[in-house]
Amino acid sequence: MYRMKLAEAEQTPTEARRDFISKLLGIWSVAVAAPICTAILKFVTPIIPEGPATESIDVGARNDIVENSARIVRFGKEPVILVHTQSGQYKAFFARCTHLGCIVQYQGHGIPHFSCNCHGSQFDINGKNVAGPAPRPLSPLRVSIKETAVIISKV
Amino acid sequence: MPNPRSAIRFGSWLRERLPVSDDVFAFFAKKSVPRHRHSVWYYFGGLTLFFLMVQVVTGVLLALYYKPSPEHAHQSVSTIINDVPYGWLIRSLHSWGANLMIATLFIHMFSAFLLKAYRKPRELMWLSGVLLLFLVLGFGFTGYLLPWDTMAYFATLIGTEVPKTLPIIGDWGVGLLKGGDDIGAETLTRMYTIHIVILPLTSLIIVSFHLLTNQLLGSSMPLGVEEKRPAIRFFPNFLYRDLIAWTMGFISLLALATLIPWGLGERADPFASAPLGIKPEWYFLPLYQTLRIVPSTVFSVSGEFFVNGIVGLVAVLWAGIPFLDRKASRGEKSRLFTVLGILLIAYLAITIILAYAT
Repeated sequence: MYRMKLAEAEQTPTEARRDFISKLLGIWSVAVAAPICTAILKFVTPIIPEGPATESIDVGARNDIVENSARIVRFGKEPVILVHTQSGQYKAFFARCTHLGCIVQYQGHGIPHFSCNCHGSQFDINGKNVAGPAPRPLSPLRVSIKETAVIISKV
Repeated sequence: MPNPRSAIRFGSWLRERLPVSDDVFAFFAKKSVPRHRHSVWYYFGGLTLFFLMVQVVTGVLLALYYKPSPEHAHQSVSTIINDVPYGWLIRSLHSWGANLMIATLFIHMFSAFLLKAYRKPRELMWLSGVLLLFLVLGFGFTGYLLPWDTMAYFATLIGTEVPKTLPIIGDWGVGLLKGGDDIGAETLTRMYTIHIVILPLTSLIIVSFHLLTNQLLGSSMPLGVEEKRPAIRFFPNFLYRDLIAWTMGFISLLALATLIPWGLGERADPFASAPLGIKPEWYFLPLYQTLRIVPSTVFSVSGEFFVNGIVGLVAVLWAGIPFLDRKASRGEKSRLFTVLGILLIAYLAITIILAYAT
């Protein structure tokens, strides 16, 4: 610190002025760059519109989906997998694998389960993660039958 | 037949208007390339540059027909392949060229690593090279979505989800890549812009810097290798040899593009299950395979976070090799780093084989 002050004291007025202007330029650069960078960051951050939240959907007649098979349906913006199990039950889950978001597939042969073909995660028929890297179970939805229609709604 | 006198007159006319100092010519003329038993590895940097130039030319041509929207992207690529004269060739050259560029870049990088070319005073050359590796992988990732086929869709879905485990900026990073909460039109335009504007501009700067450091410092002489014959001048002697390598590279690329034309999968359906056997390109297979084998929880953190952390750490260490390997910088042999490099190469090779085999 003392040496720095000594060096400053030894500067000629021209050098001192140049030094001062350099420092001023540095501060000015930061002052200009900071708001520009902030604006760019704000600009590139996407605006995700808040659409009306989907509470339930009607996926059609119950006979359209045969036993031991599944169908991917839209639940708002999200894919949902609706399964008609071997025992005649209907189950529905958000279809995105909890690992990295691929859409799972229903496997009806052997012990029925859901598999993700991206990294090999597996979920049992109740959505529980049983194999592979998936960290969480699939999120379930409620399935109800109104007359002949299958209704999927949030739990 | 051009008149030699006219050529001389044009030369002096040009020199009057572009008074380039002789020092500039001397600067380029002084570069030489050492000759020894490992000289063959010097060709791979030039080959990578050549494939990059092929990518620029074919990419500009493809951009004339490509339409970056989910409604039109797949159809426009199909039109390029099926209807545009030589469109199949240009598209195939672009896709195969990307693979060859990344392959030669890996060879160039690992040969530079094993020959300790990163050691003092070439630290900045190494750092810019590592940066170019990331940029080239970025080219591969952003270009992959553009055809909007099933494989492209799911590869991008996975790739854009990868940053989500990063602390604080994870969700923001995912949104930044996707341009929304899902893979859609916004993602495609972002990937397209990054692919054709941001990455090329950044690469131009970094490639120029990389070549400048090479011009200033010359090619590295491997440790413990004797130069039995005098070095050869780069301009024009080594450049002629480079041109032969480029010709061989182009013949290989043409052979691949014509004999195994790059295909186009089914149009992406965001509401369909990921198909069986889905895999990314070979250069992302080590990451893919690692994500597959790491369990959901490791040392009480999530498997994805663990993998991201390890990959980030390896990337930082890889970039910092010249500063870590102090022995090589002193001109001494550093066996530990050679072994670590070989282990890394082995890991990449094994995971690629495993990913194909399972």
